[in-house]
Amino acid sequence: MADVIELKVPDVGGVASIDVVEVLIKPGDIISVEQPIATLETDKASMELPASAGGTIQQVLIKPGDKVGEGTLVATVLVNGAASPPVVSAPQPEPAVPAANETKPVTAPEAPAPAPAPNVGKPADRTILATPAAINDTGLSVKAHASPSVRLFARELGVDLAKIAQGQGRKGRILKDDVKNYVKQAMSTGVSPSGSVGIPIIPAVDFSQFGETEIQKLNKIKKLTGQNLSRVWLNLPMVTYHEEVDITEMEAFRVASNAEKGKGEVKLTGLLFIIKALVAALKQFPSFNASLSPDGESLILKKYYNIGIAVDTPNGLVVPVLKNADSKSINELALDLAEKSEKARQGKLMPGEMQGGCMSISSLGGFGGTAFTPIVNAPEVAILGVTRAKMQPVWNGKEFVPRLMLPLDITYDHRVIDGAEGARFMAHIKQNLSDIRRLLL
Amino acid sequence: MTTNTSNLDTEIVVLGGGPGGYTAAFRAADLGKKVVLVERYPVIGGVCLNVGCIPSKALLHIAQVLHETEEFEQYGITFNKPKIDLDKVRAWKASVTKTLNDGLAGLVKQRKITLVHGVGKFTSANTLSVEGDSGTTTVNFQQAIIAAGSHPTKIPAFPYDDPRLMDSTDALELKSIPKKLLIVGGGIIGLEMATVYHALGSEISVVELMDQIIPGCDKDLIRPLHNRIKKQYKNIWLETKVSSIAAEKKGLTVTFEGKDAPISETFDAVLVAVGRQPNGKSIDAGKAGINVDEHGFIPVDKQQRTNIAHIFAIGDVVGNPMLAHKAVHEGKVAAEVAAGHKAAFDALTIPSVAYTDPEVAWMGLTENQAKQQGIDYDKAAFPWAASGRSLSIGRKEGMTKIITDKATGRILGAGMVGTNAGELIAEAVLALEMGADADDIGLTIHPHPTLSETFAFAAEMITGTITDIYVKKN
Repeated sequence: MADVIELKVPDVGGVASIDVVEVLIKPGDIISVEQPIATLETDKASMELPASAGGTIQQVLIKPGDKVGEGTLVATVLVNGAASPPVVSAPQPEPAVPAANETKPVTAPEAPAPAPAPNVGKPADRTILATPAAINDTGLSVKAHASPSVRLFARELGVDLAKIAQGQGRKGRILKDDVKNYVKQAMSTGVSPSGSVGIPIIPAVDFSQFGETEIQKLNKIKKLTGQNLSRVWLNLPMVTYHEEVDITEMEAFRVASNAEKGKGEVKLTGLLFIIKALVAALKQFPSFNASLSPDGESLILKKYYNIGIAVDTPNGLVVPVLKNADSKSINELALDLAEKSEKARQGKLMPGEMQGGCMSISSLGGFGGTAFTPIVNAPEVAILGVTRAKMQPVWNGKEFVPRLMLPLDITYDHRVIDGAEGARFMAHIKQNLSDIRRLLL
Repeated sequence: MTTNTSNLDTEIVVLGGGPGGYTAAFRAADLGKKVVLVERYPVIGGVCLNVGCIPSKALLHIAQVLHETEEFEQYGITFNKPKIDLDKVRAWKASVTKTLNDGLAGLVKQRKITLVHGVGKFTSANTLSVEGDSGTTTVNFQQAIIAAGSHPTKIPAFPYDDPRLMDSTDALELKSIPKKLLIVGGGIIGLEMATVYHALGSEISVVELMDQIIPGCDKDLIRPLHNRIKKQYKNIWLETKVSSIAAEKKGLTVTFEGKDAPISETFDAVLVAVGRQPNGKSIDAGKAGINVDEHGFIPVDKQQRTNIAHIFAIGDVVGNPMLAHKAVHEGKVAAEVAAGHKAAFDALTIPSVAYTDPEVAWMGLTENQAKQQGIDYDKAAFPWAASGRSLSIGRKEGMTKIITDKATGRILGAGMVGTNAGELIAEAVLALEMGADADDIGLTIHPHPTLSETFAFAAEMITGTITDIYVKKN
């Protein structure tokens, strides 16, 4: 008699929601008691779920990505080694050689693979045995998207197609060129291209040996930002230049303007003036309003002035873009910036609102600081950093006078901009912010 | 009988001259290897060419001609009742086989392969002894490829010494046309032979243990075939077991156990087609240290290597499905690996074809398998009743079914039933190997009017672009 037994998740210490990382069984598999049937992962650890009974798997009810808890039904197993009979058309309960016939198709593509017989030869000679039947069945949807000739080519070069995430062909099909590129990249970096970029990786440390730790998954923005920043860090030779700007007059004007504003009107911030000064500098120095062509042979000059503003949000850093900043008044920019910042904080920015920037500003003015080295938002070629303005004694030739000084930092791609040009660019911004009347000229 | 002994030294010996074996031998020779091919019968070609695929197809073609001429009476074309000259039919069948035999013999010569006739058995991991009519040949080899094939499964209690009890080989000899013929086993071989003998005038009964004919194939694909032969044949007994066969003077009396079958009935002949068994146990594999499992299969890895690294095995003897096209593919892999290439068997599917009338063919995942494995799939089945080409050849029962992955849209499996389904399935296999999705298939222009269009139509049913039939939107 064959019994069907349900395999469930046992008590796992009161954890209500456990991620299924991997399912190790499929219908038709013959399993033994205690054999791992799935890999589960909590925020603390991953564990293998052992089978509470052996037999033939009938149904698998979980899949990777599912969340399970104590008592979740994982699979049903038919207990009684005999399993479901191979599909045989023998008219008698005769030796169950799976039916096949002459030269034509077989009736049982799912027939159990012949079990490897005990070793007669040298064990070392053995490789893992897989019958063609096993190769023939299942898993088609997860196989690499590559035609037979490309699979042959990859096999000859020893390339695991599963490591090439996306091919250049239509619908991501892996082409011969993708395999070649993979090999080229592997040869030039000496490590798997899917790993880091050819630099020694930081060795793993088990921190829990030093005290309590907790694993926190990075959210998507963090992960993407991280990848992007690493890429920039490795690709761009960057120089940062620091400057201090006297904004005493600008600040007086700003405070006065805000005082004139009615309730509910958007107030002006120092950042808006900085945007204006930056646009003016970009017009004067076109190589800052540019990107390097991918082949590094030419500079693509932009005839539009879109400024990216780095905004800190609960989910991470995002950079909304203020389009056509040159044709907007400071009041218009104030409205635009307020709207984009709010959207950013609510996570409602559309992809189009974060594209097309010419140069970005990263302002830490709200936090303090005296200087920092922002990372260029490539393919832009420079970024302007802002920290908090501070009243400082400034020598005017006769005496120390209190002036409101704003620290600015500019990081630029040294392949495009040389040191003197960087300094001249900052001097231009400095001049304009010190005397904002110049912005009218 | 002579007792000559001789010795041969070779780089590669191939044991068995069926489609897998001769392909392996040819490929190895083309890659510059010195090859000895061992075959127990006087001609090469194996079961496929001599007592399988090829002669059965010749007879099935005769059956098709007989059926078509008869069926077109209703459309106004009447022939006289055909006269069947069995001797001539046999001679024609033999000539087809001989043409191919001769062709193969020529290919062996051109490639300078040494052909040794006789029964080969291992005597060590580097020697094979071949017992032939003219004596014993010892072949010393560096590498070996076992292509020893399979034989029809025999059921011990049946009276095999009675010539009225046939296996597929006997049936293809076409010694006579029995009046009442019982086919034991409703699989592909049984049904193909049923088609032939029915056309030649036998009254056919089929008995099958499972709940459908051609077990393993999706039921919806089988239905048109089942409906047609139900009318043509006397009986189709499913879920029925043959408990005994007694040889009597008046015929073979068969007793049944099953829901609809009679307790017993007497037939003029019985054809047993209940599967095939691998020949792994009859080659003294143990003397070379090669593992053979309890059924007689020789386990191999993806490169067709046995547990002994320099000995390969291919074809029926390594596992199901026992199909010539699988063996041929494996034969090439084994020869290439033996010659130092990095080949491997990584075909995504091995297509199956039943050359019945209508033909049934399928490849990739069956719908049953998709369900069992919990795969999220889309499915469409295009009825050939809406195909102009199918109607114009007087047939309307066919169907083309396609199964695609819900997430990627890529084809997972396909099945066809109808005239020439066996030819049409090849396109589906190519689509699967190339990773085509339903759009790719639907956007590929298929010539009109053809039966091949039905594959594109089925794909269009999945993408929702079909215009040749009306599919109600949910």
